[in-house]
Amino acid sequence: MIKKLALSAVLLASSLFASTEVNVYSHRHYDTDKKLFKMFEEKTGIKVNVVKAEASALIERIENEGKNSPADVLITVDAGRLYQAKEKGILQAIESKYLLDNIPEKLRDKDNQWFALTKRARVTVYKIGSGMHKELSTYEDLANPKFKGQIMVRSSNNIYNQSLMAAMIAHHGEEYAVNWAKGVVANMANAPKGNDRYQVKAIANGIGSIAIANTYYIGQMVDNKDLSQAESVKKVKVFFPKFEKGGTHINVSGAGVAKYAPNKENAIKFIEFLASNEAQKLFAQANFEYPVLKGVESSDIVKSWGTFEDDTISINTLGENNKAAVKAFDLAGWK
Amino acid sequence: MNQAVSKIKISSIFLTLLISAPAVIIFLYLFIGHSDNWQHLKDTLLFEYIFNSLYIMFGVAILTSIIGFTTAYLTSLYTFTFSRFFHYALILPFAFPAYIVAFIYGGMFDITGTVTTFILNLINKDLSEVVFFDIMSIEGAILVMSLVLYPYVYLICKTYLSFESASIIDAAKTFNLSSWQILKKVILPISRPAIVAGVTLAVMEAVADFGVMDYFGVNTFVTGIFKTWFGMGSVDDAAKLASILMTFVFLIIILERLQRRNKVFKSSGKDFKPIDKVKLTGFKSFLAFISCFIPVFFGFILPFIQLCYWFFISYEDIIDEDFMTILYQTLSLAIISAFIITALGLLFVYNVRKNKDKTSSILTQIAKLGYSIPGAVVAVGILSFFTILDKNIIEIFTSNYVISGTIIAIIFGYCVRFLAITINNFEAGFSRIPQTYDDAAKTLDVGEKRTFITIFMPLLKNSAFASFIVIFIEVIKELPLTMILRPFNYDTLAILSLELTQQSQIVESSVPSMFILIIGMISVVLLAKNMNKAH
Repeated sequence: MIKKLALSAVLLASSLFASTEVNVYSHRHYDTDKKLFKMFEEKTGIKVNVVKAEASALIERIENEGKNSPADVLITVDAGRLYQAKEKGILQAIESKYLLDNIPEKLRDKDNQWFALTKRARVTVYKIGSGMHKELSTYEDLANPKFKGQIMVRSSNNIYNQSLMAAMIAHHGEEYAVNWAKGVVANMANAPKGNDRYQVKAIANGIGSIAIANTYYIGQMVDNKDLSQAESVKKVKVFFPKFEKGGTHINVSGAGVAKYAPNKENAIKFIEFLASNEAQKLFAQANFEYPVLKGVESSDIVKSWGTFEDDTISINTLGENNKAAVKAFDLAGWK
Repeated sequence: MNQAVSKIKISSIFLTLLISAPAVIIFLYLFIGHSDNWQHLKDTLLFEYIFNSLYIMFGVAILTSIIGFTTAYLTSLYTFTFSRFFHYALILPFAFPAYIVAFIYGGMFDITGTVTTFILNLINKDLSEVVFFDIMSIEGAILVMSLVLYPYVYLICKTYLSFESASIIDAAKTFNLSSWQILKKVILPISRPAIVAGVTLAVMEAVADFGVMDYFGVNTFVTGIFKTWFGMGSVDDAAKLASILMTFVFLIIILERLQRRNKVFKSSGKDFKPIDKVKLTGFKSFLAFISCFIPVFFGFILPFIQLCYWFFISYEDIIDEDFMTILYQTLSLAIISAFIITALGLLFVYNVRKNKDKTSSILTQIAKLGYSIPGAVVAVGILSFFTILDKNIIEIFTSNYVISGTIIAIIFGYCVRFLAITINNFEAGFSRIPQTYDDAAKTLDVGEKRTFITIFMPLLKNSAFASFIVIFIEVIKELPLTMILRPFNYDTLAILSLELTQQSQIVESSVPSMFILIIGMISVVLLAKNMNKAH
């Protein structure tokens, strides 16, 4: 048995370097992705090998593997980690006319080391009947004492909150951001815990009346077999807040090519495929994410929430400010 | 010292170096210059991390020792209603991964949980009007961890009591002591080393947990390590936090050693006789029943019912060909790892037994360190370690072969992480073999190898089996380490379960969880049967 396993390990390691493959290190873990990878395999005959883990762990692994790394593509669920990867020098510039022509400048790295694949908006969700839709306006206003005891939001350990805070820092500077966070902490209905869905369930059940959550979670809750999610989401509505001098906070899921990618050509083909019309449709329809390719429609559930303008700041700044965001949370006492 | 002994000693020195390398690498980070992140941590959260981690360790220690010892005492010394059933059932919670119980308890008792909503409907009140115990709190985390970890204490105490107490109890009875007095004056003091050994394992596991603490919103060293690593992108500072955690745990291990040294109860070896269990009747029997039923109910039956319900509404969507591959991968990985780690543990403890020197004993303690480090951090140490190996050794032989990201790296990771369990098991096993056996073998001039094979091996069979099963279950449940180190296209049941949970498919995640549980249950029953046989 051990012999067999060791042999298969060796075979696996050597097969990674065949040119009909692409090795993907991904932080995404959705069924949609599995389908997309199969579609790519069928279309191109290139086998997709995947290893999934937290982005920072994958970045650490690629960095450690160095020149020997079998990694071709790194996919993350936020811009901050792509920035981190670039900073560590484990990505390379991608030469692709298709990506340059089709992914808006704001949604890619300035040196073309990574490109966004999907967008997610971080929004407020309010309880129907709480009257909160009349009160809600900007992200800044969430620190207003009029919301005392109303806000449910997850812990600052979470990358989506860190990105929101990074955006706040980009708009107003660190000092303002710390004070803003202090205001939000004072308005919390409960100590931060659970995930985004938990916050939505909480307001649906009478704890607070505003939840901060990512849009695609709301979509995923609608047809959920977990009845407490499906029931809760019926009692809430989405509101798109804005920054005072910007739009709604968005983050991206994106991909880059590893610096020592053994299958560079395949890696670029793979990312181009994920930014293609058919892949973008699947991201939008099955996972309730916003497509980055123009002309691809959102799903009906997503459309029913209404439209919004993206924040004006560059996605790059989310990564640049991530560390400062974590510190600001700690200083504000946001658990 | 003959040749065989020195071979064993040399190999255990080599293995300790190998196994402790990731921990040492992590530890070295402590001496890398302090960054501004570190100052920030000291100014803001470090105290909270220390306080919460201590609180959890303390809480879990108290709860697991009470539950674990009481149930072990009752089932070893008495018969009562369903006592035979409890003999097995009390170990069952061990088959549950803590994070799965946390999710299930969240689903039942958090603010929107089925039980909470049911009670609220019953009394016709809103959540804002009543105060509920919120399971998603530090106390809730202690409760959940204790419910799945008490079997460590139960198992070790039970084995100890079954082997050691019969003659002592008989002796105590001749002094006309009541059963309460026997418990207080005899059984509790002699069980102390066993309780502490079990509690040490439980506390080490609790303090290294990430899943439960993160979901319940509790800031501990481990959540801090992840926040520093993932949020600030600083592996150095995360490793520094991990080093402090390791130092913490090392202190616990030393304390445990010290207390055991003062209390060595070596068996004379003449009286391995079974205990005459006392039959309890009436109220006493009921009380014993309730004491055993509560931990089994909350640690197993209740979460199991919820899991069954979810399983039956979703299994058709999940079980397919891919799922069977995952099942095969999980099982083969667990079997191979359990085999290797058990063998290594035996080697370490045998070395201590043979050489009886400080070096061997310290080596063994160092090899245990990995258990205290969270899986993800062990993985970082291993990545760094294999990078050094890959760059300096492997590259000489081949241009592109990488150890990190292969099955070898994962199994090595499990060795680092779980060796402590086997070592503890074999230490307990060896302590039951009287020194006179070794001496007799020596005087009769029986060779080292023969003594080992003909005397020790049969006597250690049960310890080896127990260790194999426990590691097997641990590997099946393990999450972060497997996730970071695994090769391409390599999933395990635990990873599938986590991914489904993260996709909000909590109901669907019950399918892999159920398989983890069933495999765990079968193993646990085998373990209990083995214990029975040992009696």
